[in-house]
Amino acid sequence: MKLTRRTLLQGMLGGSAISIGLPVLECFVNSNGTAFASGTGFPSRFGLFFWGNGNLPERWNPVGEGADYTLSEQLQPLQEVQSLISVISGMKVFVPNEVPHMSGAAGILSGSSLDTSGGGETFQVPSVDQIVAQELGGETRFRSIEVATQPSGGLSYNGPYNTNPPEQSPFALFERIFGTGFRAPGDEPIIDPTIALRRSVLDAVMEDVGRLNSRVGASDRIRLEQHLEGIRALEFQLAKLEEDPPNLAACVKPGEPFPEYPDIDGRLQLSAIHRAHTDLLVMALACDQTRVISDYFSSPVNNTLFPGSSAGHHQLTHDEPGDQPEVNAIVVQIMEEFNYLVSQLHNMAEGDGTLLDSCSILATSDVSFGRTHSLEDFPIIVAGAAGGYLKQGIHYRSPTGENASQVLLTLIQSLGISVGSFGTEDARATTGLSALEA
Amino acid sequence: MTYRVFQLWKNQAIAGSTALLAFCFLQPGCQTAPLEWNEVSAPPPTLRRLTQEQYRNTIVDLFGEEIAVPAQLEPDTAVSGFLEVGASVTTISSRGVEQYERAAYELAAQIMDSEELRQQWVPCTPQGSTDTACASQAIEILGLRLWRRSLEETEQQALVQLADNSAEILGDFYDGLQYAIAALLQSPNFLFRVELGETDPDHTDTLRFTNLEMASRISYFLWNSTPDEELLQAALASELTTETGLLNQIDRLLESPKAQRGVRAIFTDLYQLYRLDNLAQDPTLFTHMSPDVGPSAREETLLGIESLIFDMDEDYRTLFTSRTTHVNRTLAAIYSIPAPSKEGFALTEIQDDTGRVGLMGQVSFLALNAHPVSTSPTLRGMFLREVLLCQNIPAPPSDVDTSIPEPSGNTVTLRDRIDEHLQNDFCASCHQLTDPIGLAYETFDALGRYRATEGGAPIDPSGELDGAEFSDATELSKLIANHERLGPCLVEHLHMYATGHELTTGEETAHDWLADEFKRGDHRILSLMREIILSPSFRQTALPAEEESE
Repeated sequence: MKLTRRTLLQGMLGGSAISIGLPVLECFVNSNGTAFASGTGFPSRFGLFFWGNGNLPERWNPVGEGADYTLSEQLQPLQEVQSLISVISGMKVFVPNEVPHMSGAAGILSGSSLDTSGGGETFQVPSVDQIVAQELGGETRFRSIEVATQPSGGLSYNGPYNTNPPEQSPFALFERIFGTGFRAPGDEPIIDPTIALRRSVLDAVMEDVGRLNSRVGASDRIRLEQHLEGIRALEFQLAKLEEDPPNLAACVKPGEPFPEYPDIDGRLQLSAIHRAHTDLLVMALACDQTRVISDYFSSPVNNTLFPGSSAGHHQLTHDEPGDQPEVNAIVVQIMEEFNYLVSQLHNMAEGDGTLLDSCSILATSDVSFGRTHSLEDFPIIVAGAAGGYLKQGIHYRSPTGENASQVLLTLIQSLGISVGSFGTEDARATTGLSALEA
Repeated sequence: MTYRVFQLWKNQAIAGSTALLAFCFLQPGCQTAPLEWNEVSAPPPTLRRLTQEQYRNTIVDLFGEEIAVPAQLEPDTAVSGFLEVGASVTTISSRGVEQYERAAYELAAQIMDSEELRQQWVPCTPQGSTDTACASQAIEILGLRLWRRSLEETEQQALVQLADNSAEILGDFYDGLQYAIAALLQSPNFLFRVELGETDPDHTDTLRFTNLEMASRISYFLWNSTPDEELLQAALASELTTETGLLNQIDRLLESPKAQRGVRAIFTDLYQLYRLDNLAQDPTLFTHMSPDVGPSAREETLLGIESLIFDMDEDYRTLFTSRTTHVNRTLAAIYSIPAPSKEGFALTEIQDDTGRVGLMGQVSFLALNAHPVSTSPTLRGMFLREVLLCQNIPAPPSDVDTSIPEPSGNTVTLRDRIDEHLQNDFCASCHQLTDPIGLAYETFDALGRYRATEGGAPIDPSGELDGAEFSDATELSKLIANHERLGPCLVEHLHMYATGHELTTGEETAHDWLADEFKRGDHRILSLMREIILSPSFRQTALPAEEESE
């Protein structure tokens, strides 16, 4: 039997409540929207929590290994979610540490060295979130969503000099996801002739890109290909407006955040902004608007004045003497924010479990010990069960300084993506980290 | 710029370029041969995305000041230190596509809702809700201005069809036309500057930018915006591939008030003044800190540059030694000088002996190259080396303990404390280049206020720059002004800005020629801008390199 949108609508008009013939979510969710009817669980989701300037390894690494371990001073904020996360220590990022901070960021997130040819600085291959989005992003309104709390350009790369700039304002993020174009479960598909007109405009623009593409050199063709990719993504968003919204019990249109979060005493309202971002991101996942989120809390080399600190973060990592109590306090604040993300994902019920159960979340930074820009003993935390793939509640300490890319490979595989390797050259990993696999 | 000053400049500029040989004879030892076309080989072209400001300027220049240009657009990224270079290598993200779409519809609606703009851009009265001929006329005019070239037949047809279809569905001609305008505004032909070149009839082995491409290149360089009607007409009359035609248009463009906007954009990019929006000095420590400081500081610097270039037509080097500057109340308080009697900026002469002279006495330099709570001789020194002298300082090595000692009995001032940088050979190889000159400005705190002491100890601002000794900031600023790298560096950076790429080997002759010329003409920036446009390196291009086939 061939199902078209028309036959489906006729079916609904006939009193049937069963949604068939629509993309995966509508198709597999049971009538309450509480679980996938097929029993295969909810979609896999990936999240990145990133902060800049690293940690203090001595005050970060937990005591004890396996399930029986004690959280360290810097990880104290994660106490309540200890059973939901795994701490990985002692791993190393295997890229040449040529440009302090940025080499480490490229190394951990893309498994490749930073490209500094021609005077610029760029990742040379896609970052992990985009590798994952390639597989998970095809069915949702947004292929991926990026946000930055401390304003920055983010670290989400499709390729060299080809980034996905993060949203910086909670209000803009709200508008983008939950403003015009968002429909909550149960909303009717939108019948509006201007949607079709907007799509025909995009078709015309695609023709323009195509004609231009045939006249330019190889590097410009790659740039135009990305432009095309963006246009296709927007067409897809428009098409989604004409479909039934996903029927997911946990999905509720959230309230609007404040239009602005002005600095207080010249300091960013880091926590308030981050929590507003987090609430929206969590709901975006619960509403299946996207399956890939990147949460850039702060950026490499950022010199942000944190609440209570006497100097900018980056300067403190280098200039604060002794055991760096101020840097320590900043890392603790950052972990409080990561705790908020994990807790909110865990507090969101989905089916018989929580949203976090289907997630694979990576928290990491650009260096370990900031003062020396070290890439050894790298800070890595994993949260979520990835549908049962990941082991939670453990501390794994690498005895030999293994390749951090192994963790990334495991995370990608945990999402049901079958790839055999992550990274290039020395940082390439072809096996995951089995200690992390359930 | 007043007309009189412009004439003055123009006479000098002519003396310095077209009539250059004549002018040259007056100077002993002067031998200027014009730069030959085939002495230069420019690299293949790249598409340049409009920066956020170029997008805004373009829309405002075409549709008037009244129009509200949406603020959310693809962000600009600095590559190799320049937003203009970033615009040549970055692309349009998915988020950017969404933002440009939204902007396009907001603009299209404003244009079609305004009676005045309708009359300006729709030169006919539509007969009914669909009127193919009328739509076609409007699209032809809009297309020429938005894409900076005439539309091709297929493009024109596609847009007319779009307008017709939309008008039919919506039952209104102007509503329909909005969709064609939205398509024009979202097209890569608008969002990117498409400058690909053509075979040069006079030199068949090279490519030159076409007349219309030259119109865009000149106008975005000098105005940071789209060509006006007259420039496009000059291009359509093939005047921009001739030297005379170019000179006429350059003069005209530089005479327009839009040139001040262009110069502002240039120095905002060259000196990274856009970073002043995020100045993060701690207001609890610096009582003069407020959100107003960064923008005020940028305005001070830009007013100074504008006045140097347009009002005075002075030597670039005086920017670093001048004792006059423009301050508002915010800055006057930081500089401890009398505030202007009226709101806004006033020209002031600073006659104290604090060493506050020229650009390096301004908050733009002092606060931008500092930490939120303390100064950084390294950052200040790096600015002097990299931005003003084009000397590349390598990134610090990794896995080195970079901490400096806290103030103690013997090491009170930062100079004492960072001595380690200079005593340790490993650190000194780079810090020797930055710290000794950065330390000259230690008499100014992280916000730019004068201080004679640090922690009760006197500050020693003396040092040496490439073999020349100085006793304080004033003397160092003078040394910078007279440094042999200062002029060639501005030439290199302005060339990068104008062409959107780092100087390539094939362009070195052009750079050296321009640098000689700049020096010979007493460092006049307007002359330099004019010479860059006339240079084969600005007018030439090459066939795109075909990288490994995909």
